[in-house]
Amino acid sequence: MDVLIEFIVSFASSVGFGLITNVPRRSLPAAGITGSVAWVAYYLVLQVNHGLILPNFTAAIVIGILGNISAVLFRVPVNIIYVPSLVSLVPGGIMYLGMRSFTLGKESSTSQYMFNSLTIAISLAVGFVVAEVVFYRIKPLLTRLINHAKKFES
Amino acid sequence: MSNSISEDELIAVCGKIGKILLTSGAETARVESTVEYIGRAAHFEITCHATITALFVGVKNQTKTHLVKARLGDFNLQKVDEINTTSRKFVTGKIDFTTLEEKIDQIDRKVIDFNWPLKILGAGMVSVAPMLLFKATWADLSLAFFVGIIGYLIAVWAGKHIMTPYVAAGCGGFIIGFLAALLETLSIATSAGNIIVSALMPLVPGVAITNSFREIIDRNTISGLVRAVDAIIIAGSIGAGVVIGMSLCSMITGIIGG
Repeated sequence: MDVLIEFIVSFASSVGFGLITNVPRRSLPAAGITGSVAWVAYYLVLQVNHGLILPNFTAAIVIGILGNISAVLFRVPVNIIYVPSLVSLVPGGIMYLGMRSFTLGKESSTSQYMFNSLTIAISLAVGFVVAEVVFYRIKPLLTRLINHAKKFES
Repeated sequence: MSNSISEDELIAVCGKIGKILLTSGAETARVESTVEYIGRAAHFEITCHATITALFVGVKNQTKTHLVKARLGDFNLQKVDEINTTSRKFVTGKIDFTTLEEKIDQIDRKVIDFNWPLKILGAGMVSVAPMLLFKATWADLSLAFFVGIIGYLIAVWAGKHIMTPYVAAGCGGFIIGFLAALLETLSIATSAGNIIVSALMPLVPGVAITNSFREIIDRNTISGLVRAVDAIIIAGSIGAGVVIGMSLCSMITGIIGG
């Protein structure tokens, strides 16, 4: 039940950010589903591992693979899927908290928050790189499948 | 057909394409590869070097170089997509060079946007952060929906009217901080902190900082650093705005209450 609520809310988040950043309409549902699947993966890993790195890394791999697949399917640049689906994972809130501590002159919590957001951002970026390496291995298979499906339709 | 394209025209169009892509939030690697693809499709060997603030387009073994200045812009992914589709059509030979030129001009001039009700709904949906689902109360999250919309609208409005960079995000943060603190002192909301973090989601540069690290890993170090510093300063201005808003609220309630 919890997982379902998480799924719905993160879907809404991703679609909402897609609306703000002007994602083309045809890739909006794909971006939403990518974002929510990645968030559910994050949530499930978080139940087992309470660190910052592993959950974000897993979610980034999910986004990377699903995003690349839907980029091929819908013929859009992959960044268009990445940006909206990332919104619930990225360390925006933590960065804000860090800079607020900076404004209030609290040194130790500033460095704590900024270090956390750096960790999250780097683990997401590394996750994307790993996912892209994996994706380019399976890409020939995918294109063959798509061509097959097209032949089957016509 | 390909012989009729002059070098200057091609470079001018490539510069335009690169500028649109850069200012609508595409990665620099994509900008470079798109421009070079178009050059190859037109039988010229175009070299393109893009950083986030400038774009150089030139033909190999020639002295002529076209320099385009760009500024960091907001995301407008639909423009990226349209340029991508158009350039793909040109590369596969479905449209010729003059049509490409016209279409690029069109995309440059056209304001591609969702209508406002949809954008407002979108800002509200982003403002309910999944990060806080079972940590904040549902009442707080639904308040954050509306506070986030107001903050987003203020930030967009300020961005249109105030030319100084980074002020717009600060204005959004100010309004959100003020409203959240007000809701807490009126004891409508339980926690101002949760509302603020949740409602700030459309404004904070989280996606920007993640993209900047992707660029750094991609060896576009300069662009990555520019984006990262920009993101940190935006976060700083939001943080300062929230602090000012909250202290203004406590001052006002202090005056009225005391």
